[in-house]
Amino acid sequence: MMQTQLQQGGSAPVISFDRVTLAFGDRTVINELSLDVAGGQIVCIIGPSGCGKTTALRMAGGLIRPNGGSVRLLGETLTAPRRDVAIVFQDYGKALLPWRTAAANVSLALEAAGVPRSERPARIRLLLAKVGLTGHEDKYPTEMSGGMQQRIQIARCLAQEPAVLLMDEPFGALDAMTRQGLQDEMLSIVAETGTTVFFVTHDLEEAVYLGDRVIGLLANPGRIGIDLSVDLPRPRNQLETREMPEFLRLRRQLFDFIEKAEG
Amino acid sequence: MNRSRFLWLIASFVTAAGLVWIWQVVADNRLVNPVFLPGPDRAWMALVRGFTTGDLDVKLLATVERMFWGWLVASLVGVALGAAIGTSPRLRAYLSPMLEFLRPLPASATIPVAIALLGLSDGMVLAVVAFGALWPVLLATVHGFSAVEPRLYEVGRALGLSRAAVIGKIALPSASPDILAGMRLGLTVALILSVVCEMIAGRDGLGTWILLAARSFRAPDLYAGVILLGLLGYATAVAIGLLEARLLVWRSRSR
Repeated sequence: MMQTQLQQGGSAPVISFDRVTLAFGDRTVINELSLDVAGGQIVCIIGPSGCGKTTALRMAGGLIRPNGGSVRLLGETLTAPRRDVAIVFQDYGKALLPWRTAAANVSLALEAAGVPRSERPARIRLLLAKVGLTGHEDKYPTEMSGGMQQRIQIARCLAQEPAVLLMDEPFGALDAMTRQGLQDEMLSIVAETGTTVFFVTHDLEEAVYLGDRVIGLLANPGRIGIDLSVDLPRPRNQLETREMPEFLRLRRQLFDFIEKAEG
Repeated sequence: MNRSRFLWLIASFVTAAGLVWIWQVVADNRLVNPVFLPGPDRAWMALVRGFTTGDLDVKLLATVERMFWGWLVASLVGVALGAAIGTSPRLRAYLSPMLEFLRPLPASATIPVAIALLGLSDGMVLAVVAFGALWPVLLATVHGFSAVEPRLYEVGRALGLSRAAVIGKIALPSASPDILAGMRLGLTVALILSVVCEMIAGRDGLGTWILLAARSFRAPDLYAGVILLGLLGYATAVAIGLLEARLLVWRSRSR
């Protein structure tokens, strides 16, 4: 994985939307969307409801194919989901297998990738430790809190050793404290692995706090309305970063954008 | 929690014992002609006699075998067919009207057809039992497979699971509570049909034992057979219950 990234260098985009158009019936959801995401970046997508941000993420994951244009991943046109692209769904309760323990849920990704049975336990232990679930290996998802369930899903996605992590409002259903904890954990994991992140959220502050870049979409049809680069120092800090003038300025700018987009 | 369960268990045994006692009182006071209603004591003695000097064990085993094989065939066919129908909306659209037509047919009504085709053979009994027990398993399996959370299929696609792995690791476990419920019903149907087939086709087993006892006014033997059938039904329900508890641990362990 390191090698592919070195080969990619800084210039070639990891995800590339090229004049992507998508329609459901005669309703155009996304119109001529062009967007390049550079390797190792965290790009946050915001926008009013119905702007197609989740749809864009699903196209980047290969779950939906565009009607026009193309979505390319590491230079290859995407026609189906790929193992090196992991998706974290918002509804962790539905995305986990309730009959499998935390460890066995993570194992599913390893089984899919054909990792030999003997190698799985050690890797599962490592992955669960990474998301802070050591000691909870044998619990079933229904025995765990929402935050812990979402951690299982993140661990399962990390098991794919993804080059790209697609996150669809992953922390939207969690309470504020849990959400901040998971934001920081995600940032440190991503900083460690250099994974490219495509992060959909409706929380403007979250977008600025996490992102290297924040893209605001407009609705009907979905298209890019604003594209901000976030030059806040890393590692970020829940208190200090959020008090920086630059943070407040970007937040204000996005707030105005959303207000206008919805008005 | 465990304490109250224990108390409920005791209460249900006391109730059962009370009913047996009332039966005994009714029989002792000859409120019903003893030719038709022996007391539980005489029924029990007939049961013991059947096992010690008679061949009730052979007949019991014959009935159990008929029930088991019919049920097993029904379960295997039902799950395989149900999985195919449940995962394919097209197949479901084609087949559901026919399934809805065949389902409410009383399985015992198929016995004459089966006899005409297969004769008075064990093969005929197997066919009738399997056919009757198939429906609960099949319909429960179709329902289980069509009710799999769509998000899980997306997870399967995103992880790059093969089609076989999606069925084996996602759809089948997800449908397993429904399938087990269907198999539980199927077992009851299999027991009923085994006994009915024995009675109609004269295959040796508990059904014929009960029928012959009734025709020769051996009421204690008749009741012994009925009690044995009840115990058999109870034992199979307990066995399936244990299987469910083992396979569906995750359902009982929620927060």
